[in-house]
Amino acid sequence: MVNEFVAMSVAQITSGIKSKDFSAREVVESSMRAIEALDDSIHAFLQTTPEMAFEAADRIDEKVARGEELPLLAGVPAAFKDNMNQLGTRTTCGSKMLANYESAFTATCVSKMVDAGVLPLGKLNMDEFAFGSSTETSYFGRTFNPWDLERVPGGSSGGSAAAIAAGLATLTLGSDTGGSIRQPASFCGVVGMKPTYGVVSRYGVVAFGSSLDQVGPFGKSVEDVAYALNALKGRDPLDCTSQHIETDFLANLGQGVEGMPIGVVPEFMEAEGLTDEVKSAMAKAVEALAEMGAEIIEVSLPNAHASLSAYYVIGPCEAFSNLSRFDSVRYGNRVPSTELGDQYEKSRADGFGSEAKRRIMLGSYLLSSGVYDKYYYPAQQIRTLITQDYRKAYEKVDAIILPSSPRTAFKFGEVSDPMSMYLSDIFTISLNIAGNGGLSQPIALGSETGLPIGAQIVGPQFKDENTLRVAAALERYFGVSTLAPIVQGKSKEVRA
Amino acid sequence: MKKLEEVLQDWEAVIGLEIHTELTTLKTKMFCSCPIEFGAEPNTHTCPICLGMPGALPVPNKAAIESIVLAGLATNCDIEKRSMFYRKNYFYPDMTKNFQTTQGPVAFCMRGHLDLEVFGAAANERHGLGSLEVGESSDNIVRTEDGYVASVGITRIHMEEDAGKMVHVGGVDGRISGATHSLIDFNRCGVPLIELVTEPDLRTPAEARLFMQKLRSIFLAIGISDCSMEEGSMRCDGNISLRKRGTKEFGTKTELKNMNSFKNLHDGLAYEICRQAEVLESGGKIQQETRHWEPANKRTITMRVKETADDYRLFPEPDLAPYDLSDEFIDNVRAKLPELPHEKQARYMAENGLSRSDSALIADDVAYARFFDEALKVDASMAKPVANMLVNEVAAHINATGASFDELKIDPAGLIGLCKLIAGGTISNKQGKQVFAEMVVSGESAESIVEAKGMKQVSDEGLIEGIVDEIIAANPDKVAAYRGGKTGLSGFFIGQVMRQTKGQANPKVVNELVIRKLEG
Repeated sequence: MVNEFVAMSVAQITSGIKSKDFSAREVVESSMRAIEALDDSIHAFLQTTPEMAFEAADRIDEKVARGEELPLLAGVPAAFKDNMNQLGTRTTCGSKMLANYESAFTATCVSKMVDAGVLPLGKLNMDEFAFGSSTETSYFGRTFNPWDLERVPGGSSGGSAAAIAAGLATLTLGSDTGGSIRQPASFCGVVGMKPTYGVVSRYGVVAFGSSLDQVGPFGKSVEDVAYALNALKGRDPLDCTSQHIETDFLANLGQGVEGMPIGVVPEFMEAEGLTDEVKSAMAKAVEALAEMGAEIIEVSLPNAHASLSAYYVIGPCEAFSNLSRFDSVRYGNRVPSTELGDQYEKSRADGFGSEAKRRIMLGSYLLSSGVYDKYYYPAQQIRTLITQDYRKAYEKVDAIILPSSPRTAFKFGEVSDPMSMYLSDIFTISLNIAGNGGLSQPIALGSETGLPIGAQIVGPQFKDENTLRVAAALERYFGVSTLAPIVQGKSKEVRA
Repeated sequence: MKKLEEVLQDWEAVIGLEIHTELTTLKTKMFCSCPIEFGAEPNTHTCPICLGMPGALPVPNKAAIESIVLAGLATNCDIEKRSMFYRKNYFYPDMTKNFQTTQGPVAFCMRGHLDLEVFGAAANERHGLGSLEVGESSDNIVRTEDGYVASVGITRIHMEEDAGKMVHVGGVDGRISGATHSLIDFNRCGVPLIELVTEPDLRTPAEARLFMQKLRSIFLAIGISDCSMEEGSMRCDGNISLRKRGTKEFGTKTELKNMNSFKNLHDGLAYEICRQAEVLESGGKIQQETRHWEPANKRTITMRVKETADDYRLFPEPDLAPYDLSDEFIDNVRAKLPELPHEKQARYMAENGLSRSDSALIADDVAYARFFDEALKVDASMAKPVANMLVNEVAAHINATGASFDELKIDPAGLIGLCKLIAGGTISNKQGKQVFAEMVVSGESAESIVEAKGMKQVSDEGLIEGIVDEIIAANPDKVAAYRGGKTGLSGFFIGQVMRQTKGQANPKVVNELVIRKLEG
């Protein structure tokens, strides 16, 4: 295998390094070889940072040599979505607008991972400014689903999900505004988690929808993701929406679901576009939970159907304002003109792709006077209702299980009109609206498509340990492999 | 153009003010920890947050919230416990994020007011005052003995961040028109500002000026800003419209900018009122626009015409949680509220017998008031002479030298020492002025200066009488002329005595003796 560490978990890598079975430097070398061998086909990375990775590896190896205590994620190869600032890298957000933008500082989530000892391999592809569900809108070209190179990896954190499935990194970070972690995790057959809003600092992550954005980890297993969350969690003085979190997310992974009340939402199983293979896989997952002793309870989220509408009001409004700073004055794409307004218009027209423009225009319209009262305000009211729906449901259950996506990964170009693309997030969006945390994990390969199907486990606010506990039980039950076949196949070619 | 008094006969001016105050006494900016420093090297006090770099987030400065609550309490506002920041979206290069973080419909401070005492010449601009009896009220005023008291409503005081400063290069006088390029200094970007908006309750330029003066003295007393109108840390825009006397409907207003002194505020508003009257009286219409006061040419000119209302797409700032101020927080701020200038003034008048004008002069200036209050602690019985010294000698010295109060080498006990020498007759008032002039520069005590210069006043009647007799004897012709009716010659005799005594004779005694001898 190109990357002998591909199959290893976070715990295996950190303990292997600690017991000197291999060095952190070897991990970087192997990871870089894997990226070189596979990423031409996958295009998960927009840039690699071998120097930084080797530097970090040397720090770890020196600690090992001196017998010092190692940080939580010592020697774990990791990579970051390209909307996360990291000094010494470009942070492009997948946009021509920021094609040459060099980070001025490092995002808290990145520095927390680096402080925890990861080996930073590089920056990962994404839909432009995280607008999309397929990673097709990246200015730097699309990312390919490792399970089927004719299919999308999902999005917007498509690079982060694909890098895990292709064995190019052990942990990656993504951001999730309406499903941008969970949907690609589902399409690529890996575990991806969006924690409760406020668990992870947003400082340094280029904002899309500030009240909806949340950073989260991708990994091959629930345990790996819990490791990352332990490193990421907690109050950041630079993000006043971040919270103090004392929870050890690794603590109750082995507890099982015996006697645990878990909710199912019947109306979601009737959702438009939900394919039969996803429906039956979900039914099996629910059966599995029951078999393991969980108490399955039907809950209702009567307002969740309005999530998509509320989302496509609140999201574009915040995005419109957040993206205003890209005006070519101090940085970013510039089409020079002798007239300021003209330069603004030309630089932005040239720098933003069509989906970004669509959302900016939508937000600009929705916030304009006379329109604001008709859309933004009701959207906030709906937001309150949906939050209450979840709160009410959690009076009865400790977690809820939902599909992550109505279907498995689609082909490039297959979903071309924006509305259909937006609908691929129907199961994930209500969580961003309510602020709750959720996770997508692979539970089966589709009976028709043979592609990964994800189940979404959703917890009460700031009870993300519930989510991880249920997911860990399901993972033990199904034992689904999270590495795409290409990892094996391609590696043979390279060796030959 | 008609004169203001004439215009105000037929027209009622409706004036509202918008006053921006930078919270210059804070150490750091509104949403980051960059220092606030006026006049620093451009772009040295910046960071990813105030530069609005992608991914940066705001963290509110608690001290700034304290300052605005203090301002609200000092201006009789209701403090809104629950309020939010909003984003005001517009594109301009001095605004790094292309939105300004400000407040929405509910500001930290709402529904306040200040009472203005308008008297003397300032009261003359108010139309119809003569028809009111003392104590009688009309609209928002109550007639007093020598003027009136006007209650001026404060709509709100909200918090917002300042923009950077643009310098336009290559044009005339730094104007943007004709400039070849512009430089931006982001040091000011993110400096906390509070904006106070008044109700349209002001009716004369004098009232506007008094309101601004009163507000400035309050803000200085509570220590939230250096309130420099020249340097722009306190800026005032006026909204002005006219309506025919007796009508209720508001006319079309113009917004007036660049009134960076009390005089400019008064003169700019007065000009604009007269200009509007001329336009209306000649059958024209007032255009809704922003105008610029040119102090040098004594006129206002069109700056920007608004054809459509700006749409700032205001919406709640999602990066900042709504505020929920606790009673404890508000009480803690209230406890920091010092005695305000008008309260001090009332105390000086009631307890120390100061005149209204002297007490106002002292109470409105933080340095004077602090000095005077310390003097009261040393010896309250000397309040009036100390106040006299402050409003005359100290003020004159500061005006003449441009020195600040803190540079004066004189303390309350020292000034009381000087006042006692004068009150006790040891030195004359005139000598007192000389001694004061020495004291502020050298820092010596009044006693030692008087001692060193041999300035002790001679009040010994016998001694002075001898000198008077000598001079009368030496000038028989002048004595005869005086007695023949030229009584003005008494001054000659007094002058001679003073010269002989090197100015140390008690002038009162000299005066009495000379008259008595000449008459006798």
